[in-house]
Amino acid sequence: MTDGSPGPGAPHPTPPDVPAAPPVPDAPRTPHPAAPDFPAAPDFPAAPAAPAVGTAGPAGAEPRQRLHPLSPVLQGAKSLVVVIAGLSWSTLSRVGFGWFAVLVAVLALGATVLAVVSWYNTGYHIVGRELRVHEGLLWRRTRAIPLERLQAVEVVRPLLAQLTGLAELRLEVVGGGKTEAPLAYLSVADAARLRHRLLAVAAGLPDGATTGPAPQAMGVAPADGDAAGPADREPTGRPLHAVTNTDLLVSQLLTPQAFLLPIGVAFVVAQFLSEGSWSFIAVASTLTAMAGVLLQPVRRVLDDWNFRLAREADRLRIHNGLLETRVQTVPLERVQTVGVTWPLLWRMKGWLRLRLEVAGYSGGEADDRNRPDRLLPVGDLTVGAAIVDEVLPGVALTALPLTPPPGRARWLRPLTARVLGAGLHERVFAVRSGLLTRQLTLVPYARMQSVRVVQGPAQRRLRLATVHVDTAGGSGAAAHDRDLAQAWALAAELTARAHAARRAR
Amino acid sequence: MNAAEPPQSPVSALEPWPDTVHWQPISTDLIWVELLRLAMGLAVLLVGLALGWAFSGHWLFGAGCALVLLGGAWRVVTIVRAVRAWGYAERADDLLVRHGLLVRRLSIVPYSRMQFVDVSAGPLERAFDLATVQLHTAAAATDARVPGLRPAEAARLRDRLTALGEDRAEGL
Repeated sequence: MTDGSPGPGAPHPTPPDVPAAPPVPDAPRTPHPAAPDFPAAPDFPAAPAAPAVGTAGPAGAEPRQRLHPLSPVLQGAKSLVVVIAGLSWSTLSRVGFGWFAVLVAVLALGATVLAVVSWYNTGYHIVGRELRVHEGLLWRRTRAIPLERLQAVEVVRPLLAQLTGLAELRLEVVGGGKTEAPLAYLSVADAARLRHRLLAVAAGLPDGATTGPAPQAMGVAPADGDAAGPADREPTGRPLHAVTNTDLLVSQLLTPQAFLLPIGVAFVVAQFLSEGSWSFIAVASTLTAMAGVLLQPVRRVLDDWNFRLAREADRLRIHNGLLETRVQTVPLERVQTVGVTWPLLWRMKGWLRLRLEVAGYSGGEADDRNRPDRLLPVGDLTVGAAIVDEVLPGVALTALPLTPPPGRARWLRPLTARVLGAGLHERVFAVRSGLLTRQLTLVPYARMQSVRVVQGPAQRRLRLATVHVDTAGGSGAAAHDRDLAQAWALAAELTARAHAARRAR
Repeated sequence: MNAAEPPQSPVSALEPWPDTVHWQPISTDLIWVELLRLAMGLAVLLVGLALGWAFSGHWLFGAGCALVLLGGAWRVVTIVRAVRAWGYAERADDLLVRHGLLVRRLSIVPYSRMQFVDVSAGPLERAFDLATVQLHTAAAATDARVPGLRPAEAARLRDRLTALGEDRAEGL
């Protein structure tokens, strides 16, 4: 870490891998033959414009790599949006357009300068089975991300990044309340390559890049069956399903927000007409508020546009997004729960939505945009069943052995008691709930963390109890209001099956 | 009482499988810890109300004092019963923890899912020579906390849990 910034300035008299040794304890081959013609600064390539392929070099310990040199520009542009949003309409009206522009320019410039400084001090490399990310000028920080705990990898390309051919790489690690180590930005080729390497290391495959011959590993990930073309924006592997965009649009029109918007517009227009004043600020604020209401459906459309799902070896590859494309790669064994949702307004179409939970995306992020939990934004039952069968082999969505709670549960839940259901499938624990928005949660036994039986005072009088299954991601599943004896049996059976499932692996 | 009947029919909501599970109670000294905690809370409330009564002379403050005392007396009874209801059991593959009177809870946590174990003791607990062991899994909802253990027993439980956890550790 500390040898990061002085490196490029002062040529080291010592062999190049010596200064790199402190952060890299497992440099495997100290006397490597390529030492003489190695660049003077071993940590970074001499030219910052080449952070890409060649930098791995023949060194035993992989040198640190910088992010793409264009990234500070993109960060600055991103902060421009934030600055404008932060200053808001009222500031614009108060200070006038000229000063507003100056203010924005100054703030954005400052942010860009900071971004350049942080880019200069940011570096990453893979050491053994860890990804290390170094950052910070005054407060230096080195994060070592153990790749055995990698849950999912995501390549995100916001609009600006798409225009400049860059991509952001996000890693999800267990225990991280939020997305760990977003590497913003890399070139698309670098991002794809790094993703392959990370996944290979995470899967415990012999990753050639750190221990074996580096150049080949950097070129094509050897462990993966498909040759990952540098710019594989298309999901490779076996395509499972593609959502048609018209279905997506219709599905988002069938949401409460889209239904209620005309009423809201009519109300506001009526108010303006009665008052007779049409100031610019009022109209602009109203439009902003409208946008806020419509934000969720519009975002869903933008996020799930062109949704494609593919299977590649034992991983799921999810591709979606219009303005911001993202490719998520989720190893199948990392799927903690699968949720099926039937929103009320979608029932006329017979549609459902599938979500998957991965450990690491706890409730920490209020903004659920960044959670890669979409498995199917919209689709009918046959499609949903096919995908569930793919993610959880052997689980038939339509033939789950769900049993309702006893009749006396109606005293506690007069409306929803008849919708409730829970059942033990061969591989998963299935729970159904929700009167208007029906939900089904599937938890594989091997992913269960703990089982709880909870009995409230009213339930005690009725001899009922609720069985909770806790998972590492999402909120788990709860079988509400089961008969007490049945609840105990369920808990015992769940524990036994979880144990057996874990043993079997 | 129908459906899939378990091998042993449960006798109480807190004690399933009475034949196979050997429940261990926690130390009754925890009653004193909890009572002292309650007394401190009550004292603050009562002093506040009494001052209000003394200065304003309004009868509502007196009624408040009486209510607080009544509530305190009721809490004393529930604390005694709740501490007695708390228990844990170590089975071959999992730890069972039961607690709660009004809302009864039983947690079954496999050792293999353990991420880390906390042993903690606050000043009051230390004064009564007690400690708390908490088992954490990757799920935030997991609720496996055993208070009121003697330090030796807490250390034994911690060591056993970590040993078993390492022995059977699995990823996610």
